Amino acid sequence: MGYTPELKELIKRVEATRPERVAMARRNEHYPALTMAERETVLSKHHPDYQSDAKQEVKVGPNKGDVFQEGVARLLESKSIVRPGLVDLTKVDYETDVLVIGGGGAGTSAAIMAADGGCKVIIANKLRHGDSNTIMAEGGIQAATQEVDSPYYHFLDTIGGGHFTNQRDLVAALAKDAPLSIAWLESLGMMFNKHEDGRTVVRHCGGSSRKRLQSSGDMTGAEIMRVVRDEARNRADMITVLEFSPVIELLLDSDGKCAGGIMFNMETKEFSIVKAKAVVMATGGFGRLHVKGFATTNHYGATMDGVVMAYRAGIGNKSLHSTQYHPTGVAYPEQNVGLLITEKVRGLGAHVLNVNGEQFCFPLEPRDVESAELIQEAMEKGLGIMTPTGRVGLWLDSPMIEELHGPGTVRKELPAKFIQFERHGIDISKEPMLVYPTLHYQNGGINVNGDSETELAGLYGAGEVIGGVHGENRLMGNSLQDIITFGRRAGIGAAKYVKGGVEIKKLSLDHVVKFEQELADAGIENPAVAPIILPDYSTDEVAERRWPEALTEGTPGV
Amino acid sequence: MCEISKTPKVATGDRAILPEGARTIPIFVMGKQYEVPETLTIMKAMEFAGFRFLRGAGCRGGICGACPTVYRMAGDYKLHFGLACQTVVEPNMYLAQIPFFPANRAHYNIDEMGQAADAIHALYPELFRCVACNLCTKACPMDVDVLGYVSALKQGNIEKAARISFDCIQCGLCASRCMGEIPQYHVAQLARRVFARFIQPQAEHLKSRVSEIEAGKYDPMLEELSSMSNEDLEKRYVAREREPDMAEAGSWKPQDASHL
Amino acid sequence: MKISYYPGCTLKTKAKNLDKAAVASLEALGIEVEEIDRWNCCGAVYSLTADDLIHMVGPVRNLIRAKEQGADKLVTLCSMCYNTLARANKLMREDEVKRDTINRFMDDEIDYAGEVEVVHYLSLLEEQVGWEKLKEQVKVPLTDLKVGTYYGCTLQRPAEVGIEPFGSFELMSGMLTALGAEVVPFTAADKCCGSYQVLGSAPGENTAAANILNTANSVGIEALASSCPLCEYNLGKQQKQMLAREKISSSVPTYYFTQLLAVALGLDTEVCHFELNDDQSLEMLKSKNCLAAA
Repeated sequence: MGYTPELKELIKRVEATRPERVAMARRNEHYPALTMAERETVLSKHHPDYQSDAKQEVKVGPNKGDVFQEGVARLLESKSIVRPGLVDLTKVDYETDVLVIGGGGAGTSAAIMAADGGCKVIIANKLRHGDSNTIMAEGGIQAATQEVDSPYYHFLDTIGGGHFTNQRDLVAALAKDAPLSIAWLESLGMMFNKHEDGRTVVRHCGGSSRKRLQSSGDMTGAEIMRVVRDEARNRADMITVLEFSPVIELLLDSDGKCAGGIMFNMETKEFSIVKAKAVVMATGGFGRLHVKGFATTNHYGATMDGVVMAYRAGIGNKSLHSTQYHPTGVAYPEQNVGLLITEKVRGLGAHVLNVNGEQFCFPLEPRDVESAELIQEAMEKGLGIMTPTGRVGLWLDSPMIEELHGPGTVRKELPAKFIQFERHGIDISKEPMLVYPTLHYQNGGINVNGDSETELAGLYGAGEVIGGVHGENRLMGNSLQDIITFGRRAGIGAAKYVKGGVEIKKLSLDHVVKFEQELADAGIENPAVAPIILPDYSTDEVAERRWPEALTEGTPGV
Repeated sequence: MCEISKTPKVATGDRAILPEGARTIPIFVMGKQYEVPETLTIMKAMEFAGFRFLRGAGCRGGICGACPTVYRMAGDYKLHFGLACQTVVEPNMYLAQIPFFPANRAHYNIDEMGQAADAIHALYPELFRCVACNLCTKACPMDVDVLGYVSALKQGNIEKAARISFDCIQCGLCASRCMGEIPQYHVAQLARRVFARFIQPQAEHLKSRVSEIEAGKYDPMLEELSSMSNEDLEKRYVAREREPDMAEAGSWKPQDASHL
Repeated sequence: MKISYYPGCTLKTKAKNLDKAAVASLEALGIEVEEIDRWNCCGAVYSLTADDLIHMVGPVRNLIRAKEQGADKLVTLCSMCYNTLARANKLMREDEVKRDTINRFMDDEIDYAGEVEVVHYLSLLEEQVGWEKLKEQVKVPLTDLKVGTYYGCTLQRPAEVGIEPFGSFELMSGMLTALGAEVVPFTAADKCCGSYQVLGSAPGENTAAANILNTANSVGIEALASSCPLCEYNLGKQQKQMLAREKISSSVPTYYFTQLLAVALGLDTEVCHFELNDDQSLEMLKSKNCLAAA
């Protein structure tokens, strides 16, 4: 394992330029940073959020007139998996108080709170219960639990980090509930990192004024998910968990209330009607759309399903044009592709280099600018490094950290990264890393208020699928808090709504009919069929050998 | 939904391509041979070969436990275990995925557990069927000392079991190998929750913060912020004092304590 | 010399009184032992299975842990644990074929060939301290206490691993005499307590145990010392029920030998966890003035 002979040959070019670059760094000389005008140029030309190409104005629905990434817009303008007129909605297969769509951290928290509120719950999972981005969050969860901190500062940090584009009632809810979330998780038996007296250990994160990041080793999200999932399993009398059964369309009733969903058993290919008095949308984000071909840190199932379904039911989105990219995701080895390499590596002085071992950017530009410069170097100038698995990357010269700060620094300052690469035969204190920007988080999403309610009666939203909490830039540790705060609020709200007396009238897919009519009226030809449920990683060669042209339609078993 | 950009031809998203001159190696998926590019993970190699996962793929980052895989190398008796998303293919690898393995899980009420190990023993009497064969530990793709935590639990040491089992991703490979038919990962989950709830000290500072919030202490502050103009908010934002990085917990006091 | 300590599962749960007193006493006597990290069941439970090799895997893994710790000796005190570990060690030392099989099966561990010596606590005490020296360190002699040395089955059987020859009770007698007690010989000292058969019979119906207690009673024994949690369960915990069913004529307080050792060394009675014994055990020691003044 480790680098191939071809890549080792290329590393020699990095080593050749290193002495001069190290000398330069010692003289405190840096590759010049961009001017504000140059930043604008590189962002608009190469940052996926800013580039005007590969963007599309949406012609239908609540966000009509807004511009999104092509892949996102295509799914907003998509048609349903089912033909509404041919579905028999009188045959109800499941009846429940609350239908939770998506069993990640938000959905599972909602399910527990709804069950606490006396409701029967069904969690419809696309994959296994717990398969989610929640489980992949490593760093921590923000909450103003310490005496020198308060929800006031959590609010300010969050809204400042989001460039004041956040929805304020959501930020207030997040800041206020955050300590309650931690207390709830503690009472469920989550293993927080603690001091001996039981005080939670807290750290700073980018943009925090107080140490507010509580954690559980370096697998905080996984620990949250394990605990809430285990708790949901203990409540099997109230919570029914269905796996490999995504909801693929919302159902309304003749009053226009949200009234359940159509569920698809991915293994048997059967559809079923779920009638519910309230629905919680908790389907997560869209990393697996691989906007503009980017690798992602996201889970296999992060395909924007909830946004698509809610959109047809009339729920618009906030900040959905905004995506968080991290400039240095792993490009090699293959098993780590897309995973994050902390900004700290560049903070310690490592240069970003092209295939010739030359610098082409100031290594500590803002994240969006840095990402754009890497993309430009590889894609426009063609000076990236090709990996054996056909990826493109740029060098991140970690060995120079050893020269600048002394031998052993890499291992001491970056222990997790060191081990992660060492496992695959790469010693990052001696060999550079291959990096490329990676798609990390869906900043925006469906519109909800501070109580997790959408404008559609009976429909609630929580987690990455909702928009407005983070504005156009999310702080570390606020995503896990978003999940618990709004998951709990959605569950509590849904239970209260159900207990207030809800009578579901005749089930209807008229909203889908209406939406598809809009598509036709807007002249959208060949709309995508969505939700897409899972990404397709078949190679072009395999796709070709499936003989799409020559195949007789309706061939059994193909 | 993976969009492909035009030049240069690169792998996009998680899709792999076979670049010019790249080597391929034979692997055997459930006994059937496929030629795949070297250096790919098992997961991506199978996708390259044309498989589309329903089960057996999850986070694709080594933490969700969806893709446990067993394999042997041709000519070697040794059985190997790994996650398909983390294990690189090797020539003549014979593999099969075990995306699910049934395991008994006991229902319980966490509030009623208490800190005594007896309650765990009562829920999982099969713990005492352990014969210390250690196959569980050998099967763990996360290098968790499974026998270590099972033994600790038999000895009544819940904290030790919680700490040893912390990296568990609940993939079920341990349970698949157990001759005592113990659902190790469910027992470990229970042990961790019991430890965190009843043995690890609870956070007292958190309790006071919760009662402050419930008493409405911060509502006026949050309402004030929510109704401010962006300009005023920005002023407040800029005026924040930053807690020093190296300050020990509880040692630093901000000058402005009016919003604490 | 480094000495590993193997406590055994029961000593960490139901028989803390055997464990804690033992460890505290060694500490008081200046003998340093270190508990093996991550030990597993001694193997006693699965020695009942038919396959006579797989049940060696557990005990041998413990011996390997001691070897990894760099130990020359491994001391343990539960009769069953001692017996199982000592037999496994003997097999690994003497049976080359089985040793290879086991080492091959455990190919994730370092090879083991019996490098560590398994010793019982009593043997270690005699070897490292000696009864004369022990006597000098006694703070509260067990004067006037008539003690029976109950060995049960597994301390002496089979002979190859017995802590002393069958029919001989020198080790425990030597220790108890050094502690100032009067050792009273009785013919049931090496009779079986009923072992796991008790699981199949109603509480208090264990004839084997009743016979032992009646024999002890008949020669005036006031305190029965043992080194095995299973023996203690059959002879001590079941006594009230035997009395109620008139299987025995009167009761006999039972002790782990380590409790008597700790008491005589003047250690805090807390370390002896008498709450896990029948009440009469502590009462007897009080009535004989065998407890250090609080």
